[in-house]
Amino acid sequence: MSFMRNNTIKSIFYVIATILLVLLPFYVGQYTVTTFIRIIYFGFLSLSMGFLIGQGGMVSLTQTAFFGLSGYIIGLFGVERGLIFPWPDLMAIGAVLILAFLFGIIAMRTHKIVFLMITLAFGQVCWAFAAQNTTILRGWSGIRGIRPFVIYGINFNEYQNFYWASLVLFFLSVFILWRITKSPFGLALNGIRENPKRMAAIGYPVYWIRVVAFLIAAVYAGLGGILAAYNTGIIMPTTIQLSRTIWVLLTVILGGASYFFGPIVGTAIAVWLDVLISGVTERYNLVIGVIFLLIVLFSPTGVIGIFDTLRKDKKFTITNIFSFKKRRYIQKHKRRW
Amino acid sequence: MMKKLLLIVTIVMITSMLLSACGVPAVAPAPAEPAAPAAVGEIKIGMISAFTGLFSGFGEMQKQGAVLALEEANYMAGGKKIVLIMEDDQLDNEQAITKSKKLVEQDKIDILTGMVSGDEGLAVADYMKDKNIPVIPMYSASEDITMREFHPMIVRTTWTGAQSMDVFGYWLATQKGWKKVYQIGEDYSYPWNQGGGFMRGFCRGGGEEVTSVWSPPGSTSDFSSMIASIPLDQGYDAVLYNGGGGDAVNFVKQFVELGYHKKIALIGQSNTFEKPDLDALPADIVGAYSPHHTADDLNTPEWNTFKEAFNKRWGRNPSAASEFAYSSMRVILRAIDALNGDISDKTALVDAMLKVDMTDDPRGPVSLDPKFHAAIGNVYIREVSKAEDGTLYNKGIWTVKNVSQFGPYDPDTYLKQPIDGNTYPPQKCSDFPPEMLEAANIYEFVEFGK
Amino acid sequence: MELKFTILILNGLTQAAILFVLGSGLTLAFGLMRVVNLGHGAFYMLGGYLGWSVVKATGNWPLALIVGGLAIALLGLLFEKTMLGRVRGRDLPETLLTVALSMIISDICLIFWARTAITLNVPQYLNPPITLLGLTYPGFRYLMMAISIFIAVSLWVILYKTNLGRAVRAGVDDRETVSALGININKIYSIVFVLSALLAGLAGVLGGSYLQLSPGGDTTILTLSLVVIIVGGMGSLLGAVVSSIILGQIMSFGLAFAPQYSYFLIFIPMALVLALRPQGLFGRQI
Repeated sequence: MSFMRNNTIKSIFYVIATILLVLLPFYVGQYTVTTFIRIIYFGFLSLSMGFLIGQGGMVSLTQTAFFGLSGYIIGLFGVERGLIFPWPDLMAIGAVLILAFLFGIIAMRTHKIVFLMITLAFGQVCWAFAAQNTTILRGWSGIRGIRPFVIYGINFNEYQNFYWASLVLFFLSVFILWRITKSPFGLALNGIRENPKRMAAIGYPVYWIRVVAFLIAAVYAGLGGILAAYNTGIIMPTTIQLSRTIWVLLTVILGGASYFFGPIVGTAIAVWLDVLISGVTERYNLVIGVIFLLIVLFSPTGVIGIFDTLRKDKKFTITNIFSFKKRRYIQKHKRRW
Repeated sequence: MMKKLLLIVTIVMITSMLLSACGVPAVAPAPAEPAAPAAVGEIKIGMISAFTGLFSGFGEMQKQGAVLALEEANYMAGGKKIVLIMEDDQLDNEQAITKSKKLVEQDKIDILTGMVSGDEGLAVADYMKDKNIPVIPMYSASEDITMREFHPMIVRTTWTGAQSMDVFGYWLATQKGWKKVYQIGEDYSYPWNQGGGFMRGFCRGGGEEVTSVWSPPGSTSDFSSMIASIPLDQGYDAVLYNGGGGDAVNFVKQFVELGYHKKIALIGQSNTFEKPDLDALPADIVGAYSPHHTADDLNTPEWNTFKEAFNKRWGRNPSAASEFAYSSMRVILRAIDALNGDISDKTALVDAMLKVDMTDDPRGPVSLDPKFHAAIGNVYIREVSKAEDGTLYNKGIWTVKNVSQFGPYDPDTYLKQPIDGNTYPPQKCSDFPPEMLEAANIYEFVEFGK
Repeated sequence: MELKFTILILNGLTQAAILFVLGSGLTLAFGLMRVVNLGHGAFYMLGGYLGWSVVKATGNWPLALIVGGLAIALLGLLFEKTMLGRVRGRDLPETLLTVALSMIISDICLIFWARTAITLNVPQYLNPPITLLGLTYPGFRYLMMAISIFIAVSLWVILYKTNLGRAVRAGVDDRETVSALGININKIYSIVFVLSALLAGLAGVLGGSYLQLSPGGDTTILTLSLVVIIVGGMGSLLGAVVSSIILGQIMSFGLAFAPQYSYFLIFIPMALVLALRPQGLFGRQI
């Protein structure tokens, strides 16, 4: 395959994909669009966690708390105080930044597995507070009645409009994050993932780079939370419970944590899996758990990793998909994360 | 490298879209009216409930009751086939809304039912507000579903939290002459509502004080410190444990272990001593009172038939949750029968539900309030007793007939009060608004079984 | 009033007993293997449920304790040998495997056991009301404290008085050197993980008798055990003892004086520790 031809095929693919996504509401049912909206807001959350894992080597389990926090701010100021767009949304992002900064300056003093546990604990603190504060956050009942706005005559209560708005926001945000990973900042972050001590020795402010990365990730989680709050119309402590966090971690691993687009692919698969399985069996968690187990054991680079390996294997045919060769190949590349 | 990944992302996206096109019938953006089933078609009932997670026990019982009612009708009503689509919301709000959306948008259900917890019911009802689909909450007891957030598509054939507790409080104050009760409750909306009903009834009956202490639901494991803090020397007549499920098992067990059952009476809310959690409780609590809309030893032909059928189908005794599901499902089926299967007009369907004859309901005759679409039915005061085989059960002792969700109050007066919470109603009866103490007594206590 | 405080302190100690059994298992596995077993709560649940079945079938509580503990130890061994061992040394996959396992276990519990709250019946001879200093307190709670002290002492003996313990402690400090010395570090890993699982299973039977078991209980338990090891210092046995006593008292007094925020209160010492001494009270810098 020549370089040029390859590139043309790709470009055609992107154009078709974009057109298909944009025109989605015209040729599929309402629930499919709803599912894509879910993919988008969980995609934000997953991207936020995946960015920290893949680029910074930090497994943060606090991201769901930021997701929930922005929903609570929308509920508190949008519904109860009646502020209009964009104030609640800006306040939500502001609140997420403040909380992320506070958590970040503490959590960034630790690394690796200790970091994971500390962020897990932070997430649980937020959950416990949301569940037990009945005066402001309404405890278990949460805040109901969150609705999207009508802006410049466009009613975002219509699911199509809401979908398009989410899609545009998502494309933009993904593009920005992609640029960030390619920027000097992103490269420094990658360096810190590989060897923080050496980076510090070269003169990089390792601690602050990590804090900033944490803030960026938190904003993405917050954006997802805003969309989720508008879409579900309600914010409750269950939004930020541990099982949700673990599910998001699963989507990241499923897609491939070391790839930029891994979390998005993982979310798309997991959400569709949810739709397809839940009608068939009640043992949803069992199926998810087994898939999770298999992915971690046999394909630690996730679904994209599998594709990638297959593509790199020149002698790839249908018959050798499950041959030993590939496993050796994967093993060789396992240490990516 | 990045390009390749983008390519893969695209492929996955497209595949998933194709998948969706195959899996989900592609239709034009939803028409204003949900697709009405064809004359010979089937009627779809969506049931959303917590089949996994903290309340999965209640979810399962609900499922069993609903399925039994459908099987008795052979999945037919009004000459049409009835399809039940069950979805698990894992007691998670995001899932509850998503699954409701799935039922509404993809399955195009005609009726939505289910819902275990109060908050779950409120969330789903909030989403269903403008969907023109009847919503029939089963065990979800938040009174606001049929009060402050009522909308005309809601029909609740079961209960509210305050309904049985108002009778209970009134009975304790007037018949037992109790003046002070110490309440320990789970800190969320359903126990607040139960506690609110209790306090109103208790104060109206002449009680003086209901001291309330709240603890977080589901995460408090050891209650012994709360139990040790109960002031035994301040003249309290009883301790009311306002919680159910695992928390109630913990509380009651530790109450007995610390020997408090010998020092002060223990009473419970509707779920505290409910089967099957009762099986996990120590036998020392025999004699504890609680109110509900069912009693384990109801001896009416309707209850016995239901109990027998339920036992035959599921190999266990029915609980209130399964009875509620059974009776809700029967109302739905009978309404469809009454309309001869033509349910295209949803308002007519709701009207038909309100007119359904529920005098043969297993738990006793029930009627529906035409204004708020809530149930009016029997409340039983029950006492934990020991059966011959050593197991515990709830023995009915008094019956109060025709209790509405507003108790003895005028709906307007009632709705002017704030929503029950952990700070309202006031703990001292003297702080109550006078209109809440003045309502005339309409409860008539009949000996159980008469 | 004094009586009340005595009861509160005793309650705190009972809570501390269960927290210690949970936390010591977790901290042990973490100290040597750098594995945070996020399936610890699920192990606890499964152990409790198995014990419940044994008590229901035979009525023999001590047997339930043994079966519950050993069954989970066996599960831990299988899990370590077949799965954890494959990804050894990379902490993220290790942690993720335990997450997957916990999802599977808690769903399996839903299939096989009642979905309502159940509790193990403790026979009367193990739970007599014991009156000490004019205060009647359930005997089973004293028994739990005794069991947990016994476990603490045994762990101390194992870690500090046996060759195995020396190897484990050396492994905590420097894995490579230990392997170079000809000690089979993999075998030690297995033993430690099995020990940790055994403790979770025992805690499940104890907790299921003293409290109750119901679906979804595993996350609460996991959170509590994590708080114990974060406060005490990850990998420190002494830390687990001290922090479980502190947390037990906080839970007990919190429920008595600020019940609404009782669950939130236990996170305050954790926040303080994280802010002032991130490695925990008795942990070493990691």
